[in-house]
Amino acid sequence: MQHFVLEQALNLLIQNGSIDIKPLESKVIRFTLVDLLPDVNFICTNNRIFVNSDTSTSSDVEIKLRPNVFFALFKGEDLTDLLRQDKIHIHGDVKTAQLLVDLLSTTELDLEELLSQYTGDIVAHEMGKTAKKIKQVVKQSPNPLEALKDGLSELLIQPKVSKKYTNSHH
Amino acid sequence: MSVTILETIPLNKPMDNTTHFGFKDVATDDKQGLVKGVFDSVAGKYDLMNDVLSFGAHRLWKRYTIASSNVKAGDKVLDIAGGTGDLAIEFSKKVGESGQVILSDINAAMLGEGRKNLINQGIFGVDYVQLNAQYLPFESNTFDCVSIAFGLRNVTDKDQALREMHRILKPGGCLLILEFSKTDSELLKKFYDFYSFNVMPKLGGLIADDEDSYQYLAESIRKHPDQETLKDMVLEAGFGFCEYHNLSGGIVALHKGIKT
Repeated sequence: MQHFVLEQALNLLIQNGSIDIKPLESKVIRFTLVDLLPDVNFICTNNRIFVNSDTSTSSDVEIKLRPNVFFALFKGEDLTDLLRQDKIHIHGDVKTAQLLVDLLSTTELDLEELLSQYTGDIVAHEMGKTAKKIKQVVKQSPNPLEALKDGLSELLIQPKVSKKYTNSHH
Repeated sequence: MSVTILETIPLNKPMDNTTHFGFKDVATDDKQGLVKGVFDSVAGKYDLMNDVLSFGAHRLWKRYTIASSNVKAGDKVLDIAGGTGDLAIEFSKKVGESGQVILSDINAAMLGEGRKNLINQGIFGVDYVQLNAQYLPFESNTFDCVSIAFGLRNVTDKDQALREMHRILKPGGCLLILEFSKTDSELLKKFYDFYSFNVMPKLGGLIADDEDSYQYLAESIRKHPDQETLKDMVLEAGFGFCEYHNLSGGIVALHKGIKT
C-alpha cells in the first residue's frame, strides 16, 4: 500500500510540473531503508515513476541507509557529507542517486507518518493513517474528487502484495 | 497523432491441438466460438450481473486499476476485452482531448454495449475496434498503457496475446491485467467455491436466463493461471518488471508489467 501511495504522490508531482524526472529517464534505482521497509525500485520511464518491489532485477544504483539518515536527507543534510560519514551506502551511479535524493526532497509527503506504521500499533491506526495519506494526495491533485474516489477505493479493498511475491523468479 | 490501425487481421486464425473451455477440453480452434457464444448471450445484462455477482466490488477493483495505471493527459491507451467500457470511460477522462483511448473486444455484441454506454455518458472521443488479443492490429511501440480486465482467461493463447501487448506498448509503457485469481485463505476459498459453483450459475439463470454461461465463468476462473504463474508469463513475454497486488483476499489480482 505504501508503494501505491508513494507512486501516486510522485506521479502527481510530475504531472503538476513540481518535479522533473527527465534526467532520470530509463534509470532503475533500488532503495533500501534498513530494518524498516522492504527494498523498492524506482523505475523512471516514459516521464513517470513506477514504484516496484521486484528486487530480482538489475538496477542502475542501489541506495542503502537507515531511517534516521533518510529523514536527515529530507531535512537538508548533504548527500556527500553523509557518504563521507559512511551513513549511506551507494553502489552504482552516484549522480543518479543524487538526482533521486533531490527529487524526493521536493515532495511534501509526510514520510515519517508514512513509515511509522511499521513501528507503531499497525492495526489500530491503519485506517486513520491511510485516510491521512489520501488527504495528502487529494490536496495535491488537480482533480480532488477523482483523487478522493481513487484513494477511497484503495482504502476499501486494501490491496496487499502476496507473501508469495517475495519468491524470486528469472 | 492518432493511432493507426493496420490491415484487417482475421479474428479467427486456425490453431492446433486442444485447450480448455471451463473444465472441458475442446479443440483449440473451437474455443473462440464457444467463448463468443457465452458473451453473445450475456452482453445485454453483463453490467447488472457483474454488480450482483461481485456485490459491486468489481467497480472498486476497476477503480484501483485505473489509479494504478499512472495514465495522464495525452496518453494513448488500449483497453482489450473492454466489454461494456468501464475502464475506457475512466481512461478517457484521464487522457483528455490530447490523448486517445481505444475500446476493443473480440465480441461485437459486447463492443456494441460498450459503445452504447459511452455515448450515454456523453463520451464521444473513444475509438472502437473489434479485435483478437492474439493479433493486435497496431504498430509496435504505440501505446502508453494497455489494459485487459477479466478478459485474459478467455483468450486461447495467452502467451501470444501477452507478446502482442508487449510489442505495441512504448518503452516505459504499462500493462495492466485485472483478473480473477487464487486466494490463499482456506476459509475464503471454501466460501468462494460454494458461491461460484452453487450460487453464481443459479443467479445467472434467474437474472440473465443463462445458467450455463455462469457455470463456464466459475470453471474458467479455476483454470486461469495463479498469480505467480501469470507473473512469470508476463516476464516471459518480454516485460522488464512485473508485480501483482491481490484484491479482496486474492479473489482478484492486478498484475502490472512495465516494458523496459
